[in-house]
Amino acid sequence: MLTVTNLEITYNDIILALKGISLRVPKGRIVALLGANGAGKSTTIRTISGIRKTLDLKIEDGQVEFDGQVINDLEPHEIVAIGLMQVPEGRRIFAELTVEENLIIGSYSLSDRRKFVQNLERAFTYFPILKARRDQMAGYLSGGEQQMLAIARALMADPKLVMLDEPSLGLAPLVVQEIFEIISRINQDEGVGILLVEQNATAALSIAHHGYIIETGRIMLEGTSEALKENRDIREFYLGLTEVGAKKSFRDVKHYKRRKRWLS
Amino acid sequence: MEKIIEIVLSGLSMGSIYSLLALGFVLIFKSTGVLNFAQGEFAMVGAFICYTFASLMKLPYLVAFPIAIVLGAVLGVVIYALFLRRMIGESIFSTIMLTVGLASILTSTAGLIWGHDVYLLASPFTNKVVSIRGIILSQGALYTILVSLILFIVFLRFFNHSLLGISMKGTAEDTDTAGLMGINVRMIHMIAWAIGGIVAALAGMFLAEQSFVRLEMSHVGIKAMAAAILGGMDSIAGAVLGGVIVGIVESFASSYLSGLEFANFHTGDIKEVAAFAVMILVLMIRPQGIFGKEKVERV
Ligand SMILES: Nc1ncnc2c1ncn2[C@@H]1O[C@H](COP(=O)(O)OP(=O)(O)OP(=O)(O)O)[C@@H](O)[C@H]1O
Ligand SMILES: [Mg+2]
Repeated sequence: MLTVTNLEITYNDIILALKGISLRVPKGRIVALLGANGAGKSTTIRTISGIRKTLDLKIEDGQVEFDGQVINDLEPHEIVAIGLMQVPEGRRIFAELTVEENLIIGSYSLSDRRKFVQNLERAFTYFPILKARRDQMAGYLSGGEQQMLAIARALMADPKLVMLDEPSLGLAPLVVQEIFEIISRINQDEGVGILLVEQNATAALSIAHHGYIIETGRIMLEGTSEALKENRDIREFYLGLTEVGAKKSFRDVKHYKRRKRWLS
Repeated sequence: MEKIIEIVLSGLSMGSIYSLLALGFVLIFKSTGVLNFAQGEFAMVGAFICYTFASLMKLPYLVAFPIAIVLGAVLGVVIYALFLRRMIGESIFSTIMLTVGLASILTSTAGLIWGHDVYLLASPFTNKVVSIRGIILSQGALYTILVSLILFIVFLRFFNHSLLGISMKGTAEDTDTAGLMGINVRMIHMIAWAIGGIVAALAGMFLAEQSFVRLEMSHVGIKAMAAAILGGMDSIAGAVLGGVIVGIVESFASSYLSGLEFANFHTGDIKEVAAFAVMILVLMIRPQGIFGKEKVERV
């Protein structure tokens, strides 16, 4: 289980990006962290992953705990070794390497090398397209395939918990749906916990058990996915389902039809 | 015909030396972003270490050789740990100045320890030649070519098939993400410097077969750099190819062009500029080098 308590984070010693965040990802659950641009979602999972030096990020206060161990001061590779894997924002696959080489690197922390073949087969079962593309340079994959590769790569390490940073970014709705279904299946079949960072609240809440809403470095709201989906503010700001909005879009549709008739 | 083959072979033997150094140069640059201007000095120190054990202490060459390789790796790791670890991510100019400084410190330290004379490395191949069907080649040159060839195959397999080698390529492309994959990035940097030290020591010992052990050996570093740039600064294969091209061009230039006189114009030792002439020519046609890739765009 991942427990974040009262986390306060600065960049370059001045920019206060997180102002006391607390959240929990219970074992084997999917927890969504939702928020707009600049809310502090990536900062949260970068901190958990231990990327501090290259970003000049500092933990001013609070604590990150995983399976009973405080991991505030661990290095990224040490955090991977205890079973926490990140799928970074923008996928960050190794573009100059082949698909298979990317997966091999994902398995770096596996201490039992015999499990490599087994894990590779598992990755190919979840993402058959990667098997077909196995010897291709990863940089030439489509955006959706790259996202699949990034997830498959993380899975190669047999993680206990995977943190996904905006996996829907820049993808068509159908691809998003496909990928989210696979994420949900991975969670159910492998028992892997998921911290799902998203702006796309609809997609995220469709598979998450629990959710947190973050705004300018603070958690504003939390609850089960069902509760969040019913919440008025959430419906308005994140799901785009307000009455006003509905009317507006309805009028837009009518307008569009009229224009079209006039043109034809 | 025999003459041509001899020229090519002697070019290959010098080329192997450039290739080894270029390989270390590219590896360190790709992994850690540091242009190591002390690569030639590493080679010189490696040759002196071998000379110390083989010629001064009279140990068998087969013992001195691996000792020099191990100490070459140690030199690379120590230089990294003491000076360059903190410089990762700093501007390329400050790291260049740092390695240039290190190069001159290494040269003067070597001068203090071993002196400024010219020494002979006692090896089993000294002053021996092989002759096959009228083609005459020094044993040292043949030994250089064969051992280098084996090494290049080993390196290619290492970088394309081993977990560590593939992880080193990944770290070279994206350090932060490599860390997120569980790779201890600092260890990878250290290994890159260790390999850089090893290939330099090998190059130094091979170079000693071709001539002598002396401080000026380190000048080979700048030609290896030209070879690396020629090959594209990007891949092991590119570095090896760049080194071989420089070696062969030099060999032809020294056989056919050196010491010529046109009217009153003397071509002098044209061999020394051939490497750079080729590099400039190639870069004018292909600015990214022969094997250099244009970056793959992220989608
Ligand atoms: N490397 C950095 N240096 C300085 N400030 C940063 C850095 N990265 C993020 N910030 C700041 O921290 C705050 C939170 O950014 P963060 O990237 O965590 O947001 P986010 O929720 O992931 O947004 P997005 O949805 O756009 O990815 C922002 O105000 C941002 O400007
Ligand atoms: Mg972000």
